[in-house]
Amino acid sequence: MVIRNKQSLGEAMDRTLVLKIRTGDKRALGQLVERHKKLAYQVALGLVGNKDDAYDISQEAFLRVYRSADKFDDSQPFLPWFYTIVTNLSRTWLKRRSKRENKMVDVDDSSYLMVAEGTPESALVRKETIDRLRAALKKLSFDDREIITLQHFRGMSYDEIAELLGIPKGTVMSRLYYARKKLAESMRSYYE
Amino acid sequence: MNKRFREMIAGYVDDELTNAERTEFEQKLAANPELRAELEEFRKLKEVTSVMSYADLPLEVWENYWQSLYRKLERGFGWIFFSIGAMILLGFGAWELFHQVFTDPASPWYIKIGLPILLLGLVILVVSLGRERLFAYRKDRYKEVIR
Repeated sequence: MVIRNKQSLGEAMDRTLVLKIRTGDKRALGQLVERHKKLAYQVALGLVGNKDDAYDISQEAFLRVYRSADKFDDSQPFLPWFYTIVTNLSRTWLKRRSKRENKMVDVDDSSYLMVAEGTPESALVRKETIDRLRAALKKLSFDDREIITLQHFRGMSYDEIAELLGIPKGTVMSRLYYARKKLAESMRSYYE
Repeated sequence: MNKRFREMIAGYVDDELTNAERTEFEQKLAANPELRAELEEFRKLKEVTSVMSYADLPLEVWENYWQSLYRKLERGFGWIFFSIGAMILLGFGAWELFHQVFTDPASPWYIKIGLPILLLGLVILVVSLGRERLFAYRKDRYKEVIR
């Protein structure tokens, strides 16, 4: 209940800020940026696998919000709309970078995935594991990578993912199952 | 194996099943070694990803994030004004040039021929580029993606 209220407060704040942005208020854009810059960056990073490009995509997404604020339906929450902007920009970026549509491309940024700081298991996780996981993620389709990013690396609950993507909770579970299955298949030889 | 139970593996690993679903799933799990093997594989995967994260940016990059974005925003406006101004001036310059060349009987013939050819080439290039952009936009599978 408390989480739901917090979420509603956040949604109301986002909505107010976008309404202010419509009038050209750059300070409101600044506040919106502070609230969501890390989400935008991390989602883009999970999809394109390159830090510099993820940074640029996240910034471009906010510029789009500023230019298209009047297109935002203020009866709806802001985050799904913003999220769609970030994923569409990432898709376009991938299409431009690679003829293999929607596949993550090799952009020589092997450091985008790392062992989380302060994790007690850090020492146990070898470089090989990271390399294997990175290679496995690269093989996934755009949609599979998206759902893995949100659940595994953003730590979002199924309800949050369902709301963000505008899909039923059951579909979240189903998409996660198939994405993980492919990921697990790529990792299988490593476990053995 | 039942598709529904397979998909429930994900929910079970993430602790997202309802109590009733969990009980139902555990009953199925006890009787199905294939399901247990798949569950084990998912747990291993979750174990690996739980200690990994996407690389964060250095603190100073986050601190300068807004300033960098603001500069891009300003530059965007700058380019719009610059383009409008340039188009007005170039249009005026072209008009003046044409007017002068074609009203002045002393203008050499090659200038009188060269200028319209130059203009024609420019028009063809603009139309061709515009058509290419329009074609690319129509073929863009994701332009209408709305969740």
